[in-house]
Amino acid sequence: MSDTLRITGWVVLAALGIAAPFLISSGRWLEFIELTLFVAVLGQAWNILGGYGGQYSFGHAVFFGTGAYVQALLQFRFGFSPWLALPFAIASGAGVGAMIGYLSFRYGLRGSYFALITLAFAEAFRVLARSIVSVTEGGRGVSLPLNQDSGEVWTTLQFTFAEPFLRHAGYYYMILTVLILAYIAVWRMERSRFGAQLISVRENEDAAAALGVDAFRVKMKAICLSGMIAAAAGVYYVQKYLFVDPEIAYGPAKSVEALVAPIIGGLGTVIGPLLGAAFLHSIGEVAKEAIGALIGPRPGLDLILYGMILVLVLGYLPRGLAGLLDSAWRRLGGGR
Amino acid sequence: MTYRLFGTSTTRRSVLAGGAAATGMLAAPGILHAAGKTVKVGVVHPVTGFLQFSGTQCRYGAQAAIEEINASGGIKALDGAMIEAVLGDAQSKAEIGASEVEKFESEGVSAIVGAYSSGISLATTQAAAKYGIPHIVDVGVNDKIVGRDLDNTFRFGPGFGVITKTGIQSLIDLNEAAGNPAKTCVIVHENTTPFGSYMAGLMKDGLEPAGFEVLEILPHPTPNKDFRNIALKIKELNPDVVIPSHYYNEGVLFLRTLQRQRVSPKVIYSVLGGASSQYRFVNEFEDAAQGVMDCNHWFDPSNKAALALKDKTEADGKTYSYEVFLAYTAMKFLADGMERAASPDRKAIIDALAVSEWDGHFMPYGPTKMENGQNMAAVPLVTQVSGEDINVIAPAEYAQAKAKFG
Repeated sequence: MSDTLRITGWVVLAALGIAAPFLISSGRWLEFIELTLFVAVLGQAWNILGGYGGQYSFGHAVFFGTGAYVQALLQFRFGFSPWLALPFAIASGAGVGAMIGYLSFRYGLRGSYFALITLAFAEAFRVLARSIVSVTEGGRGVSLPLNQDSGEVWTTLQFTFAEPFLRHAGYYYMILTVLILAYIAVWRMERSRFGAQLISVRENEDAAAALGVDAFRVKMKAICLSGMIAAAAGVYYVQKYLFVDPEIAYGPAKSVEALVAPIIGGLGTVIGPLLGAAFLHSIGEVAKEAIGALIGPRPGLDLILYGMILVLVLGYLPRGLAGLLDSAWRRLGGGR
Repeated sequence: MTYRLFGTSTTRRSVLAGGAAATGMLAAPGILHAAGKTVKVGVVHPVTGFLQFSGTQCRYGAQAAIEEINASGGIKALDGAMIEAVLGDAQSKAEIGASEVEKFESEGVSAIVGAYSSGISLATTQAAAKYGIPHIVDVGVNDKIVGRDLDNTFRFGPGFGVITKTGIQSLIDLNEAAGNPAKTCVIVHENTTPFGSYMAGLMKDGLEPAGFEVLEILPHPTPNKDFRNIALKIKELNPDVVIPSHYYNEGVLFLRTLQRQRVSPKVIYSVLGGASSQYRFVNEFEDAAQGVMDCNHWFDPSNKAALALKDKTEADGKTYSYEVFLAYTAMKFLADGMERAASPDRKAIIDALAVSEWDGHFMPYGPTKMENGQNMAAVPLVTQVSGEDINVIAPAEYAQAKAKFG
């Protein structure tokens, strides 16, 4: 597929994304897309390190949670405006990435060892968030005041009580903006020297080093970029739900969401995390509705079905959904 | 693409196969279809995920109330309209709870009842406020839920502040009445959710000025599979009172571990104890439960309707727990609001609930008195396990037995 065609495809997707709140009046379906985009952002953060860099992380919640906590605490403790807290929150994701990256890559941790250390860091941060009560409020979590003044929507970056359109689409556009910026960053990375070096490290780190690639530096850059994007997702979460506690921030749920979407969608591809997130959410919703309509409410049964479909996808789509699309395009003659 | 993971060739398939299996543990909503004229009510609880037991209990309680209301002719002021439950599953996650509210909005519900945990309730009430949907919080006790001036949010039961204050004062009063046998205490609390840590802090701040010496505060995570170290530490400290604060599973394990390690304080006194006033625990582990006191949500023990619901719940193979009767009464409170509003209109229901003086319930609250969405008349009771029974021991007007210190 030529670059021009790809860019056209992305522009059409972005235009559809921007137009969605005008086309979809149902809050339910817009919320559905919004949650999909949220997972797609988390997935893209993971994809930079895991998909392009081959460094599987089992604890990406550590970046998400740190971004969320910094965004919440700077407002809660120091009265920062959310706009002022935002750069600190995003930088904190990069900072935590730099710390974990330095401690892991400096000592040559890869594969399973790196996966486990990221899991351990997420758990350690969860314990810290629970324990340093004077800073983090411990297990009771940090709750931000809810703005009910429609005149303060932009200063508080809260849209619950905004005028009707912003109330409908404010948070959607917030996560869409994060998504577009993250995907542009990854798109540019893929085509840059850094991207090529990162892929070479994934394919064979020793060979890449022999060719002069500074694998440590490349991986450090990747983990910092990945941490920034995951932290931005944390900022969105806090601004929308106005609450964060250790479990939400550093619990395994976010780490799992971050890695499943790109693996299903297609590792090391720009579109993969978005495809994966959309697919996962769609089959989850379809399974839920189908089971509900057929045999009434059966909590958990939809997720068994969902799990079975996932296993089938894994079995028959080794390159993920992006690979399926690519094959289909070639079969249609687009690859010639 | 194949990567090296755990020293062997682990592909994305094997990583995801595990992920897929793990994901199959969570849940689904559904829609209860009713014939004829209906008024829709959203019922959202965490019926899958780590809060599944409590969420399922809540759903049962809410549905039991709906069944009863519909069987007795529905909402009479709405020409006998039947209540149709639109079920939602928060999957133990706040964001999913909030997205279920969007579903309720698209279904056109008149009101919402839910969502068990404080974290989820904070998100669902906020999402419901966006559309002006009245939201009755059934269990979530965090005072911030009703402290945000959201005019759509109501809580029929007591909040954290009242429960803790009552719990502390009751312990002091019971101790005094027994001749002050207890002077020292240890607080054991879970610190994974907002509930346990907050409770521990309030208990310490309340008991120390009353002359209790808090020997130590021992936190633990949820879930927690081993309480031996904590039990041994308590044994070493030898306090007069052990004050546990955790969810059901940890509550059971903790109390059983104390029994096995032969830790025998003068009294085990919990506030919102996960297991301390649960019939399921008393039935399954009667010995470990003996003498345990709990300040918690509890029904008026002399009320026949409360006992009838207990019989029905047990006949249905369920446990009669606070989740069941709180969700049940929350739904009944809403139904009364609809009767008074005489309209399925959300604003009319909110207005009716705000001035509600409902007294047709079996909780020890008397007529409802709403202030900023909180029922100011709501109070907890103190119970103590004795044999196979759970008896109310305070306050005096509801007491079935006298408190026993060991």
